[in-house]
Amino acid sequence: MKRSWRQATALFGGLAAIAIIIGLPFWWVVTGSIKLPREIIQRQPTMFPHSFTLQHFEKLLQASDFPIYLLNSVIVALFSTAFTVLMALPAAYAFFRMEFPGRNTLYRTILLAYAFPGVVVLIPLYGLFAKVGLIDSPAALVIVNVALALPFSIWMMRSFLATVPREIEEAAVVDGAPTTTILVRILMPLIAPGIASVAIFAFISSWTEYLFASVLIVSDARRTIPVGFAGIIGQYQIDWGLLLAGATAAIVPVVILFALVGRWFVSGLTEGAVK
Amino acid sequence: MSKTGKGPGKGDKIVKLTRLFTAAGFAALLLSGTAYADPVKLTLWHMEQPPHRVQRMQELLDEFNKGHPDIEVRQEPQSWGEVYAKAPAAFAAGNGPDLLFTIPDFTTVLKKIDAVVPVDDLAKDLDAKHGFVPATIAPYKYDDHVWAIPAYNMAISLWYRNSALKNAGIEVPKTWSEWQAAAEKLGGDGRYGIGLPANKQLYTDQTVYSLMVNSGAADIYKDDGSIDFDKPETVKAYDFYSKLAKLSPADNASWTWGEAEACFASNTCGMILQFSVINTYDTQAEGDAADLGVAAVPHDDGQKESATISYSNAIMLTTKDKAKQDAAKVFLAWLLEPANYGRFLTMEPGLFLPVTNDGAKADSFWSDKVVTKYKPQIETMIANSQNGKLFGFTTGKVFPSIGAISAQNLIAETLQHIVVDGQSAADAVKAGQAKMADIAKK
Repeated sequence: MKRSWRQATALFGGLAAIAIIIGLPFWWVVTGSIKLPREIIQRQPTMFPHSFTLQHFEKLLQASDFPIYLLNSVIVALFSTAFTVLMALPAAYAFFRMEFPGRNTLYRTILLAYAFPGVVVLIPLYGLFAKVGLIDSPAALVIVNVALALPFSIWMMRSFLATVPREIEEAAVVDGAPTTTILVRILMPLIAPGIASVAIFAFISSWTEYLFASVLIVSDARRTIPVGFAGIIGQYQIDWGLLLAGATAAIVPVVILFALVGRWFVSGLTEGAVK
Repeated sequence: MSKTGKGPGKGDKIVKLTRLFTAAGFAALLLSGTAYADPVKLTLWHMEQPPHRVQRMQELLDEFNKGHPDIEVRQEPQSWGEVYAKAPAAFAAGNGPDLLFTIPDFTTVLKKIDAVVPVDDLAKDLDAKHGFVPATIAPYKYDDHVWAIPAYNMAISLWYRNSALKNAGIEVPKTWSEWQAAAEKLGGDGRYGIGLPANKQLYTDQTVYSLMVNSGAADIYKDDGSIDFDKPETVKAYDFYSKLAKLSPADNASWTWGEAEACFASNTCGMILQFSVINTYDTQAEGDAADLGVAAVPHDDGQKESATISYSNAIMLTTKDKAKQDAAKVFLAWLLEPANYGRFLTMEPGLFLPVTNDGAKADSFWSDKVVTKYKPQIETMIANSQNGKLFGFTTGKVFPSIGAISAQNLIAETLQHIVVDGQSAADAVKAGQAKMADIAKK
């Protein structure tokens, strides 16, 4: 379809406006992190830095435990992502293909669990983890993150499985392939974009999780970025440069992840959306 | 005696020697047991998370642990944002800390769940030795006990630039009418005469209460525990605050401490109410000590002197283990020794104020380079803090509902009804009274 110049202008104008609205805060944070402290807080904010310094990053990496928080976050997020994907895939397949009593009810109930506010279970969960010695353990965060991400991941994964023609599975069954082989050898490659989408969803959920990480982790050396970073910033006296440098450093792993699998993520979203 | 009755025989000697060696062996075992016994381990939770504070605390702990081989104190920094939920959960699960930093309303929360141990004797001894500033220990003295040992004080003051006042031809305001006139004169040309918050947040609670104590509305409870918020003095404070809020930046409804400090440091706000701006002013603004002005919060024209809000931060004993309690008392006594105490306070120089009389004179405090540079300002801050009060802790009686009133920021919420919703001060205070009374009933 050919657009008129008015339509094209409106379209690009709209896209540019959206890009600015989304991109401006990132620009502000990233450029602010390399400005001198006085420029950051000056009365007339500068869109482009008039000064350049890496002092905030130096302070972040040398005088704070940020590198430890970063490592903890990466470990927790990677394990959470791996377990979420490993559990969501067979669960979604079971809901999609297998026949068992109460399948639809159970499927809907799982989604209900996703809507359940986490704060309600915070204190009971603390008591439970304390009993089994999981307080102050990254394993506790992985368990919580998987539990939080799994319902929606199963729902997403089931939608992706629904895009695979049944004939492909039937052909594999005719050739004598067992269920595990069908899932691993046939379906997994076909819904790879969907798996990437679920993985990114699980990774970001874990990366940004604050509530449980703030309560279940006690020692400084085991904190993840959101919690550790909140402490670095301070309450009464804020070091704005440190805050901006930390925010910039915190988004780097997510940006790298998107750079690697972003294309799959987008195609995964569209494939999952249409049957 | 030998069986024959002729004095000690060979067998008796062997028995005696055996007994002697056995006794000596036991003694040696006991002694070696003492010498190599594990130290009493204490876990300290504090909410001083910024890296430089954690580092200073660790330096102090290392020094203490080295000098006291039988005690080992370990820090676990927490956040004020979560500790209200985290600490009760930790105590319920049996893995709470042995020592816990606190502010007055947090103590009421933990006292309610029986997690706090009174420290009457220690407080008495330390008071006799160092002399607590009365305003700092008063919020922890109720129900016939002392519930925490004061550690450092924070009091709100009025901050300004001497040059700005001089250029505007005005004196440091002492009364509300002078204050309003100064704020009006300092504003203009893209600057605001004053920067006061109007957020539903603790900072606004603090700044509003700073005005309430200066209009005679310091007590929000009556002796019987009923709410005493709705009175002409309170309405007067809110009414005046709303006038000053109009002279503040328009985004003040989202401010916390950091935004106000940035506004002052960037010279956008002529005056602010803050615990301290020294660190930010020194590192992110001019850093000219001679130009930084600090004064007591101005008082209502009808009042005689200024008061302020002060937060006495303290340390609670939260272990039921007797050996740990004794060890914790040794640590607390060590911390308040003037030689150590100044270094504890200067973990955040220019913010944490001494709670003891000898701490206020300690070389370890005044020798810090930031404290030295801003000595006149810090002396003024200390003087202001002597007349500090805290909502809910002014009558000598403490009622548990103050925890919920504080947590729900009802003082700030009342201000928002005026500044954001456009209600009159009288109506907003009336609504605030009703809400507080509801909480007090529960």
